[in-house]
Amino acid sequence: MVSQHTEDLFNWAYHKTSSATIAEDLVQESFLAAAEKIDFFKAESSAKTWLFSILNHKIIDFYRKKVNQPIPIESQTLSTFFDEDGSWQETKKPKEWHEEEINLLDDTDFQIILKQCMDALPEKWSTCVKLKYLSEKSGEEICQEIGISPTNFWQIVHRAKLKLRDCIENNWFEN
Amino acid sequence: MKKLMHILFLSCLKATELIEKNLHFKLSFREKIQLKSHKMMCKACTKYEKHSIFIEKGISNIQKKKSSSTDTEKLKESIIIKLENLYKI
Repeated sequence: MVSQHTEDLFNWAYHKTSSATIAEDLVQESFLAAAEKIDFFKAESSAKTWLFSILNHKIIDFYRKKVNQPIPIESQTLSTFFDEDGSWQETKKPKEWHEEEINLLDDTDFQIILKQCMDALPEKWSTCVKLKYLSEKSGEEICQEIGISPTNFWQIVHRAKLKLRDCIENNWFEN
Repeated sequence: MKKLMHILFLSCLKATELIEKNLHFKLSFREKIQLKSHKMMCKACTKYEKHSIFIEKGISNIQKKKSSSTDTEKLKESIIIKLENLYKI
């Protein structure tokens, strides 16, 4: 069973967590959990389906732990970008990017900058931003799974995006 | 005047918040109208929305492209050893 399914399980976990180490751990834990619960395994479902359902629970747990408590909404980020009336700070106003002129999204150098800007965010923030693409789920479903409120979720995404946008503008479009 | 505008058509802070909310959740009818009228008057926020959607595409691109380079054979071995230990107890 191990040799048959490890590769598929690992690839799935890797796709979801983007970390080989974490994916390995999750796959190991899944097999161990499966071995412990082998009595609950129903013969009518395939071993693969069963293993995947265990792994998926492990992945959700992993993210739940990461974003576990409500993320404190600090006001510092917002005052960097907006004045007290909520208008853009003059220096932080979005500039023209001309992003559509070239196939920028496929540009390796641009992808590196984007990744660096993502990594510069607080970990919980970048997790929130990534979750949508890792799970291909709606905002509501994500919030339910990791146990944060929708308002908390999009306010985090908002702050993360402000920083991300600014970082990309400074490091790519200004150069 | 500025205050009144903000109450009617949102501040840029509020507008960008709604732009993000809109990417993940449904806006209420009132929010939709407010956001639409704000963007009609505000170039900066219109740009912000364009950039934000562009960044979303970029992130989705990066996430999709990743492939692994880990040696799964090693992983298999270590799992088998752990499982064997589990059964010995």
